[in-house]
Amino acid sequence: MRSTRSLKDIVFRWESFLIALLLVEVLVFGLINPRFLMPRVLFGSINNFMTISIVALFVTFVLVTGGIDIQSGAIVGLTSITIGILWNDLGMNLYLALVVGLFIGIICGALSGFFVAYTDVQPMVVTLGGSFLYSGIALLLTNFSSTEAYKGISGFPDEFTQFVRGRIFGVIPHQLIIFLVFVLIAYILLHKTKYGRYIFLCGVNRHAAEYCGVRTKLVVMSTYVLSGLGAAVAGILLTAYLGTAKTDLGKEITLPVITAVVLGGTSNLGGTGGVIGTALAAVVIGILRFGLSLANVNTQYLDIPVGVLLVLAVAIRFSAGNPTVQKIISKLRKRSANP
Amino acid sequence: MRKHKSLPRATTSVIFLILMFLGVGLINTSFLKLSNILLSLNSGVVYTVVAMGIAFVIITGEIDVSVGATVGMAAAVCGSLVRDGQGTLGVLLALLVGISVGLFNGFGVTYLRIPSIIMTLGTNGIVRGMIYVYTEGKWVENLPVEFKSLSQKQFFGTFTWFYLLTLIGMVLIFLFMNKSRIGRYFKAVGDNPNGATLLGIPVKETKLTAFVLSGLFAGIGGIMYASRVGFITPIAGMGYEMKVIAACVLGGISLTGGVGSMVGATVGAAIMASLSRVLVFLGLPSDYDNTITGILLIIIVVFDSVFQKRSAERMRKQRLAAKIVHSESASEVSSHA
Repeated sequence: MRSTRSLKDIVFRWESFLIALLLVEVLVFGLINPRFLMPRVLFGSINNFMTISIVALFVTFVLVTGGIDIQSGAIVGLTSITIGILWNDLGMNLYLALVVGLFIGIICGALSGFFVAYTDVQPMVVTLGGSFLYSGIALLLTNFSSTEAYKGISGFPDEFTQFVRGRIFGVIPHQLIIFLVFVLIAYILLHKTKYGRYIFLCGVNRHAAEYCGVRTKLVVMSTYVLSGLGAAVAGILLTAYLGTAKTDLGKEITLPVITAVVLGGTSNLGGTGGVIGTALAAVVIGILRFGLSLANVNTQYLDIPVGVLLVLAVAIRFSAGNPTVQKIISKLRKRSANP
Repeated sequence: MRKHKSLPRATTSVIFLILMFLGVGLINTSFLKLSNILLSLNSGVVYTVVAMGIAFVIITGEIDVSVGATVGMAAAVCGSLVRDGQGTLGVLLALLVGISVGLFNGFGVTYLRIPSIIMTLGTNGIVRGMIYVYTEGKWVENLPVEFKSLSQKQFFGTFTWFYLLTLIGMVLIFLFMNKSRIGRYFKAVGDNPNGATLLGIPVKETKLTAFVLSGLFAGIGGIMYASRVGFITPIAGMGYEMKVIAACVLGGISLTGGVGSMVGATVGAAIMASLSRVLVFLGLPSDYDNTITGILLIIIVVFDSVFQKRSAERMRKQRLAAKIVHSESASEVSSHA
C-alpha cells in the first residue's frame, strides 16, 4: 500500500500543508525584514520555542490515545526548581540532580496516568488537578531554598548552560540538534514500533485493543509517563538556556503546546495524528511569532495571530469532513484526474 | 420505584463545604463567625458567576477555556469607560463583549464543527491579545469611588449586593434548568446529543446558547472584577478558566456532559474561594493553595468515580433481579390460566 502512494496523496497530506505554510512564512518575513533570512538569526529563533516543541512531541502521544494533558507546564516548573534546590541548597552533584529531575517528571506523569487509566475520571480533570498539585509543590519547594522565589536560582556552571546555548560552527544552535534528536526518538517510538501501534489502537478503539490482548491501561498510563518525561527534559533544557531555575518557567506553555499538537493534525478525539505534524506545527507557530516580532509587531499582540491560525487551520480541517465540502473536493479531484 | 436513587453530587459538595468549615472551626473558632463565612463566600463572587456561565457549556458536553480572557476584556472595556464617565455604556459594552465572544465560540463549535477545547483555546489567545491592543498594555486605573463602592454595598452584616444578586441568579437559573422545557434541553444535549436530535431538540442552537451564556456570564464577572479589584491589568482574569472548571468539577458537574447543576457550580466556587481563607486561619502560607486544590480535586473526583461505578453496578444487579422476579410472576400467571 505504502509504495503505491501517489504524488497527489502526498500533496493533499496535512504535513505538506504545514510545510507550505512554513515556506510562505519564511518568504513573507524574509521580504519584510531581510535580516530574518540570515542563517544565524533564522536558526537562532529555535531558542524561543524549543520548550513548547519538545513538550508538544510527547503530549501528542497522550492525544493519540484520546486523552489530554494540561499539566506539562507545571512539571516543567517543578523539574526546574527541584534541580535548582538540589544543586544550590543541598549541594548535590548537578548531573545527579538532573537525573532526579527526570525521575520527578516520570513520577508526576505516572501518578496522573494511573488515575486516568485505572479510574473513570476524565483526563482533563486529572491533569487539571495535576497542574494545580505540581505547581503548588513547586511553590512549596521554594521555601527550602535560601533564594527568593521570584528571583530564581542561578549561577549554574558554564558547561551545563553552554551545552544548550552553544552553536555548531557558530551558526546551528545545539538546541536545534537536540530538538531534531527528540523528533527522531518520538517518531520511531510512535510510528515504527509495536508500542506505537498499540497507542494508536487504544485511541481508535479501546475495547478492540483490549480484545487483541493489548494491556490498554498500561499503554494509556505510559503515554502520560512519556509526556511527564518530555516536560522534565524541557524543564532541564530551559533551565540551562536561561541559566535560572524558577517555578513558573512553564506557566504559559500549556495552551501553545495543545495548539501545536492540534495544528499538527492530531485529533483530540484520539486515533489519528503524528509526531512529524506536531514538530512542523510547533515550528510554524514559533516562526510566526518570531517573524512578527522581527517585523516590529508588539510581542504582547502575538497571541492574536496564533489564535487565528489555530481556529482557521482547524476549521479547514474539520470542514473537510463536511459532506458538502467533500463533494466539492472529490469533484475537483476528478476534474484534475481526467481533464 | 427509584428507592436507591443516589444523592445528587451537589449534595456531597455541600456536605464537604460544611465539614470543611466545621473542621477549621474546631481549630480556630473565629472561622465560624457569620461575618467570616460571608466574607469567604463574597471573595469568590467572580468565580461563582463565571462558573455558573461555564456550567451551561460543560453540561452540554463542551468546554470553554476562553472565559479567563473574556473576564479580562470585559473588565478592561467596562473599567476604561467608567473611568471616562460613561458608566452605563461601559457596563453594556462589557456584556456585549461577553456575548460576542460566546457567539464566536458557539459558531465555531456548532457550525464549523471545531472541537470546543481547540476553538476556545484559539479564542482565548485572540481575546487576550486584544486586551493588549485595547489597553495598549497599560493598566486601567483611577476608577471612580462610586463604581468601586458598588462591590462594597452590603446587606445583613457583610453579605454583599453582588453575592445576593448571584444567589438570586443561581436560584432562577436552577429553576429554569429543571422546571422549564427549554431549560432541560441543556442536560438532554449533554447526556446524549444523538438522542436529543431524534427527539427534535435543536442541538446546535442549544449549544450555541450555552456558549453565549458562558460569554455573557464571563462579561458580568468582568464587570464585578473591575468593581471589586479597582484596577485592571492586561493579565486580569488569567487562569480563571482553570479555576472555574475546577470549581464546576468540585461541584459535581461532569465534564462528559449531562450531569450537574447550577447549585453545584456555586458550591464548587465557594469551596475554591474558601480554601484560601482556610489556609489563613490554619496559619499556613498561601503557597499551599494550589497544592491543596490539586489534591482535593483529584481525591474528590477519583472517589466519586469509584462510588459511581459501584452504584451503577448495584443498579444493574437490581434491574436484573427485578427482571427475574417479573418473569417468574408472569410465568405463574400463565400457568394459572
